[in-house]
Amino acid sequence: MGVIREFIKGLRVTGGTMLRTITGEELVTTEYPKEMRQKPPRFHGRHVLNRYPDGMEKCIGCELCAGVCPAKCIFVRGMDNDPENPTSPGERFGFVYEINMLRCIFCALCVEACPTEAITMTHLFEMSTTNREDAIYTRETLLMDEKGGVPHMFPDDELADMDELAVADGWVKATAPSGMASYQGVKMWQGTPGPGDWDPEPGQSELDARSPTEDDDG
Amino acid sequence: MSEAKLVTVTINGVESQVPAGELLIKAAQDEGTYIPRFCWHQRMSPVGMCRMCLVEIETPRGPMMVTACTSPVSDGMVVDTESEEVKKAQEAILEFLLANHPLDCPVCDKGGECPLQDQALAYGPGESRFVEIKRSFEKPIPISELVLLDRERCILCALCTRFSEEISGDPLIEFQHRGNTTEVNTFPDLPFSSYFSGNTVQICPVGALTAKPYRFRARPWDLQKVESSSLQDTAHPRIEIHASQNEILRYTGVDNDATNHGWLSDKARFGYEYLRSDQRLTSPLVRRGGELVEVSWTEAIDTAANRLDLIKSEDGGEALAVIGGAQGTNEDAYAISKFARVALGSNNVDARLDDALASHFLSASVDRATIADIDDADTIVVWAPDLKEEHPTLYLRVRRAAQELGATLVVIHPRATGLDDRASHKLTYRPGGGYELLDELANGDHPEVSQAFAAEKVVALVGIASHADGPQLAESVAALVRRKAVHAKLMPLNSRANTYGALDMGLAPDLLPGRVGLDTIGCANLAASWGDIPAVIGRDTRQILQGLDSGEVRGLVLVGADPINDLPEPSIAVDALDAAEYVIAIDLFLNDSNRNADVILPASGFSEKEGTVTNVEGRVQKVNQIRPAPGQARTDWAILDDIATRMGVSLGLASAEGITKEIATVSPAYEDLTWDSLEWDHRDGIVVPIHGAQAINHIPVALQGSKAPTAKLTLHVARVMYDNGVRLQHSPSLHKLGPGAVAHLNPGDAPSIGARDGHTIKVVTTRGEGEFTCVLDEGTPTGVVYVPFNQQGASSLGSDPVVRVTTS
Repeated sequence: MGVIREFIKGLRVTGGTMLRTITGEELVTTEYPKEMRQKPPRFHGRHVLNRYPDGMEKCIGCELCAGVCPAKCIFVRGMDNDPENPTSPGERFGFVYEINMLRCIFCALCVEACPTEAITMTHLFEMSTTNREDAIYTRETLLMDEKGGVPHMFPDDELADMDELAVADGWVKATAPSGMASYQGVKMWQGTPGPGDWDPEPGQSELDARSPTEDDDG
Repeated sequence: MSEAKLVTVTINGVESQVPAGELLIKAAQDEGTYIPRFCWHQRMSPVGMCRMCLVEIETPRGPMMVTACTSPVSDGMVVDTESEEVKKAQEAILEFLLANHPLDCPVCDKGGECPLQDQALAYGPGESRFVEIKRSFEKPIPISELVLLDRERCILCALCTRFSEEISGDPLIEFQHRGNTTEVNTFPDLPFSSYFSGNTVQICPVGALTAKPYRFRARPWDLQKVESSSLQDTAHPRIEIHASQNEILRYTGVDNDATNHGWLSDKARFGYEYLRSDQRLTSPLVRRGGELVEVSWTEAIDTAANRLDLIKSEDGGEALAVIGGAQGTNEDAYAISKFARVALGSNNVDARLDDALASHFLSASVDRATIADIDDADTIVVWAPDLKEEHPTLYLRVRRAAQELGATLVVIHPRATGLDDRASHKLTYRPGGGYELLDELANGDHPEVSQAFAAEKVVALVGIASHADGPQLAESVAALVRRKAVHAKLMPLNSRANTYGALDMGLAPDLLPGRVGLDTIGCANLAASWGDIPAVIGRDTRQILQGLDSGEVRGLVLVGADPINDLPEPSIAVDALDAAEYVIAIDLFLNDSNRNADVILPASGFSEKEGTVTNVEGRVQKVNQIRPAPGQARTDWAILDDIATRMGVSLGLASAEGITKEIATVSPAYEDLTWDSLEWDHRDGIVVPIHGAQAINHIPVALQGSKAPTAKLTLHVARVMYDNGVRLQHSPSLHKLGPGAVAHLNPGDAPSIGARDGHTIKVVTTRGEGEFTCVLDEGTPTGVVYVPFNQQGASSLGSDPVVRVTTS
């Protein structure tokens, strides 16, 4: 008899979970792609090349991203800026910028290495293509337009979520100087791509003042 | 040099024996202790500018800070390079240096290979207390056609200023102002137009001096590197080829004692652009109905082989000839030599283009001077082309010998040369009148020069100083030097980088591989592997071209040669190639000589093939491949092997390394030479003959009588560094540096002609005439008109010294 009791005891867990799932109390699957889930703030998605608020490109073609890339998927070549009509501040700009998304492992070391915070990652991850060439993202695709919009490789695709391209990851905040406690309240980096000024990120004291549970949301 | 006395020094508690008088920084480095430095360079005198090499030494008064780069070691010296005090000093120096140094490393070409970056990381404080605004300058300013200067990056180490003053002898860059406002710059209206300017870019410890052709092309960490030897200098300076994405981006000099001490001429440093030119030949071309048509390799080889076979069967091998091979590797030269002798059955083969010394003189092994002999010499005689223009590595070595090592330098040349300021004795003569001066010297008319000849160690660099002189003069000069100084060593000079290798491989009508003549036992030695080879001495380049003109020679194979632009008397080549029945060209580019050829085959160039090369002193070095040849281009030896096979003759050439092995078996001078030994044990190369070589016993010709021209003006035509050669034509950064169509006149001659500086004058000789821009210059003696050879837009004047100049 003990066997049957144990049997029912075990099925109670299964049955209970099944019931709660059917009622929607503990639903884990979503109707993707009809329904998109919000990604964690530091999600490593597709790259984007940023611009300064005045529309100048941030990339200076220094190739540090290509140098640090463990998958060797980034190819950059610099070029002299035209002094009359510069593309970026300074002497040099990224003339060629290519990322082979088939090789990329989305580690964000490029984002960390970038001295001008030109390359950041968005929350877009749907990048399937039907041929290998389309997986090589060029400067035209990576670079945001002067209004801050980010070009999508396949804007007509039903999976294309343009909103995700407007959200950059927060990886740099955690590691770059702007993430240092002593730099609190200093406007150094903006968490989302696009021109225009954002509010400074909150300093450490402000974060400390929050309750631990509040800070625990992600 | 006698064995230096050793003294005992204690560096960081470790006792070691080092040569007395050596600088502490060098002694410590040799013993394995690196003392950080910016301004010290082992090939230059110390200045103690940067203070980075501060170390502590024990003195009777306690520890004392000294700069290791200006302190010679002494017996019993106790040195600490890692004490707290030293560390404090290093941090302070770096903080000072970085106070004004911009932090633009991401856009700086030096970033990633920068001594300041590396040492700031290794020895720096990590933080700066300097919060003020750094100084800034207008940037970058071009100080020459090749070099850009960013003054705010400069840390005032004086490497570039010392290089240009001490090493290259063009003090065109110097410190200006004093104290806080000190900056390095060129003099007003005087660009840094040195032939060696690129070296300052390489030694600059920061990114203050950058090279225009490399600027922003790549970052150091994405460069693939391979060591090789430059084929744009007869001394074959050791270089490192840096490439990215199969594109060559720069050459850097490799410091070695044997040849270049790390220095390169700008031609050797920046002469790589032609390799990536879109004008390169990439597929075989065959002429059909007057038009060149792209065909497959099989078809092109078939066409060429059938025609060569036909001519050979009708008129024999004497009707076929090969010109070229002095710009490639020894393996290619060997293949050409074997192809001509075995497949064509002809000794009509020449790598020289009618402007070279006799083959037996150039390839003689007896009493040949090495480059190292220049350092040891008591007297150096240079009766040769201006070394600065044609043999830049030798120029730097001779200059150093005269300036630092105390050699007596005798320079004999028709006009001013780059070595004049260091020459103890300088003699000039009228072009074509060399024998007159030679007779005077033989009779002892110049006692100071005769005295210089009496020294124990004499090295003579002889070559064709002026096209008017002809090749025999150099041999007579050698004979005279040997008469005056019995133990003198000779270095015969020739243009085109691998002429020596080509002659060693038998690319002359009277030579066989291994410095053996057609008539000697060497012939029998070769017969075993080559089979029957023609015994009659063949035609040299001039005779081949004359034969083509007269129809005696019917077929010509041009291998990387452009006789129409390279011959001192181009009209011979123009007529010959016009009249030629059948021409096959193997080349990198279409040029004036092969444009009308019947078959044109694309060849792989420097850095696209492996092999060995032999320099001016007989030093064999390895050249390496870093990129594939463009399109369907192939190596010379592979093309020739295929043509021979299609003619029914097997040359048995399967790989470049296999050819080196074959050379070692058939050529006594190259015995035991393997790629392994050149790659591992002898990276600086091996001077041949290694052992057991049969040298041609060459006795220089007797002195001849005088035949000085009597004309009022004589013409001096000589090569300069930047000419209109096909490789420079496709190297945009260097091509524009050529002097162009200019004629130099002494200001004293100008009024009688009516010529004025910058105006156009007409120069007429028996062989040609043309309009040139007049340059009045004191370096050209009165009665001499100096015209640089083969310049863009300049017409050829031939080598006859008699000349007439009028204002047009």
